[in-house]
Amino acid sequence: MKPLDRRHFLTRSAALVGVGGVGAAVGATLAPGAEASAPKSVSTANGLTPDLNVRIPFDGPHQAGVLTTRQDQATFVALDSIAPNQDVLFSALEALSGVARTLTQGGPIPTNRIDDPPPDSGILGPVNAPDSLTVTIAFGASLFDGRYGLAAQRPRHLTAMPAFAHDELDPYRTGGDVLVQICAGQRDTVVHTYRQLMSAVAGNLVIRWTIDGFQSAQRGPSPHSSRRNLFAFRDGTGNPDVSDASLMNQLIWVQPGAGEPDWAVGGTYLVARTIRMHVEFWDRVGLLEQEQMIGRDRVTGAPLGGTGEFQDPDFPQDPKGKRIPLDAHIRLANPRTAATANQRILRRGYNYNRGVDEAGDLDQGLMFIAYNQDPVRQYATIQNRLGPEPMVDYITPVGGGYFFAPPGTRGATDWVGSGLA
Amino acid sequence: MLVLAALTAVVLSTGSGGQSAKLIPAASHSKSSNPYPLHITTVVGSSVPAKQYGNELSRQQGSDTDDGAVPGAPPAAPISPVSPAAFAGPTAEYRAYAERWAATLAGEVPRLRAALAGGGRAAAERQWGIAFSDYLHLGAVYGLLPGTLDARIDGLPHALPGPGAPNLSFSGLHRIEMGLWTGAPPASLVSWANRLQTDVGTLQRVLPAVQIDPLDYATRAHEILEDAQRDFLSGVDVPWSGAGVLATAAGVTATEEVVSTLTPLLEQRDGTLLDVNNWLDRLQTVLGQLRAAHGGNWPSLGQLTLTQREELNGTMAGALGPLSNIPGSLETTGIPVIPRIPASK
Repeated sequence: MKPLDRRHFLTRSAALVGVGGVGAAVGATLAPGAEASAPKSVSTANGLTPDLNVRIPFDGPHQAGVLTTRQDQATFVALDSIAPNQDVLFSALEALSGVARTLTQGGPIPTNRIDDPPPDSGILGPVNAPDSLTVTIAFGASLFDGRYGLAAQRPRHLTAMPAFAHDELDPYRTGGDVLVQICAGQRDTVVHTYRQLMSAVAGNLVIRWTIDGFQSAQRGPSPHSSRRNLFAFRDGTGNPDVSDASLMNQLIWVQPGAGEPDWAVGGTYLVARTIRMHVEFWDRVGLLEQEQMIGRDRVTGAPLGGTGEFQDPDFPQDPKGKRIPLDAHIRLANPRTAATANQRILRRGYNYNRGVDEAGDLDQGLMFIAYNQDPVRQYATIQNRLGPEPMVDYITPVGGGYFFAPPGTRGATDWVGSGLA
Repeated sequence: MLVLAALTAVVLSTGSGGQSAKLIPAASHSKSSNPYPLHITTVVGSSVPAKQYGNELSRQQGSDTDDGAVPGAPPAAPISPVSPAAFAGPTAEYRAYAERWAATLAGEVPRLRAALAGGGRAAAERQWGIAFSDYLHLGAVYGLLPGTLDARIDGLPHALPGPGAPNLSFSGLHRIEMGLWTGAPPASLVSWANRLQTDVGTLQRVLPAVQIDPLDYATRAHEILEDAQRDFLSGVDVPWSGAGVLATAAGVTATEEVVSTLTPLLEQRDGTLLDVNNWLDRLQTVLGQLRAAHGGNWPSLGQLTLTQREELNGTMAGALGPLSNIPGSLETTGIPVIPRIPASK
């Protein structure tokens, strides 16, 4: 029996009540990776916000929130453990998964005696609609230091994120023992989940940094058009096809026989990069120069010289960069050669807007999120190749970290990271 | 807040004129039909049927060109390029200006060294500010100095080259800044002043040979202050002294010099020059007032009141708008024709 204090007992009880309550108010359930965010309008005919009753399973061979179509709203929170020992750490991680499972599946909120603080903040009302919520849990290299006896189980490629050329990493916005990615259709769902999760781990996992993200609306022209980032360019066009299971096994999921610890098989590496975009400066640059830095048409997203977003840029026919400059972002990021095919990553980033800096400039940017099987072979190789791109003058990476998202959970009593126990 | 709002309004009004659209290749961006038609389905609080309203709006949109021009106005015609040779005079003039400031700096470094050796922190900090400001007056030669010279004089730890690059330790003006503002005995920093003196000597030797590319000289008219806004007013590149106002003032002077050398070219173009000079004057006025309000010394960022901060930040933001029109006004090439991707793809 692991030690549990009263707070943990309450949240775990809440989790059980929640599981019992699932089913009453909940509609469609999506397979992991299925289209989760349909185009939204302001309200349905009955005046209610649509799509709140879409459920994404928490349990499965892989965690949700990786191949899942990007929901509109997100919060990322990096946590440091102050748990006094491994048992307490594990019970905190178990609580994290327990609350996450309950909230992602939806249901009536638990109640208790009226003179006790309610176990759910209640900000979503008496029933938590699942709203395509996913909670993805990942571990930083620092969790595998000497404190908890986990050093021997560290995933093979999990290190502190190196500082790349032009990085200005702020230690208060970088790293962390645990990273939690919370995504849902509506902002209040994310905020509620964040609050319940933090309550469940209070005293053991403390917030190191956090950031809110949002997705640009689907403004077409097609439902498959990639959304725009805050430089106004479509982002994620080159992503590998998440419906191709064999490709995902080559690029995203850790496979057996790769020298990784057994518990890590089925997991994936999460690279988080908080990239400040100097948007005023960007907006003071001619459109032609913007497009040449990216290598795409700003309106359509087509590679320069093309007409459709998903058109092949055909680099071999443009060896001197007459159409797409040799240092354009899309060319350096993905040269589209046989040799670079296994370097591709799955980008799942979010825009952020977090106030104003000391100079009076908007603090906007990209919470860059990439999933990949091996950050050395994939993410770091790409990032090092991007080093000299002209776009670096307009961005400053200020935080983030390398994390490992373990495989998914087997059922209601399992938790993300249980392979470590 | 009112000040900022007012300034923003001015920026918007100056930025939405015809000039800003010049760089946009009208040929490749004028589309025969709008690929993203707007169909209004609901008009809140209006008795006009949505369908009718949508049609009206569509007609209006159809008459717009796609190049950022004001609805109803004729599209901005691309202006003829300036010959690269026309920049020979301005860049030579700027190089002479930079050489004068390098000579001034070379004269001040020994005074900084003496102040450090003397051990008085206040005097050493004052001399450091003079040397730092002198170097920043060079302005538009950024990125043009050979090898690691700029990093040796003005590098910060986070900006030093990464793994694989030549091994370079943290030295120069910011090394002395760190020592002075983190309690190191001034006399312990003398060796850094000696190294600085050597590097400034190198600077003086190499400057006459520095080539300023005519193709990007005009870009520097706004990039000096883009950097000042991003790195100095934010405090990022003056982490210990907070000398962001002094550094910004040096950048404004360097920018004025760039604009002054380009004036003969800009006078022949459009209304950009008048706008730029008005804003630079306003920026100098704000800086002068800040200095006067702090007893004739440049205040650190931390010493600015909220109102002073708003005035400085807001005026900088205002000035950068017209400054960013200079490269477009002095474009040296026509609009490139981008080849099409072969049809088989």
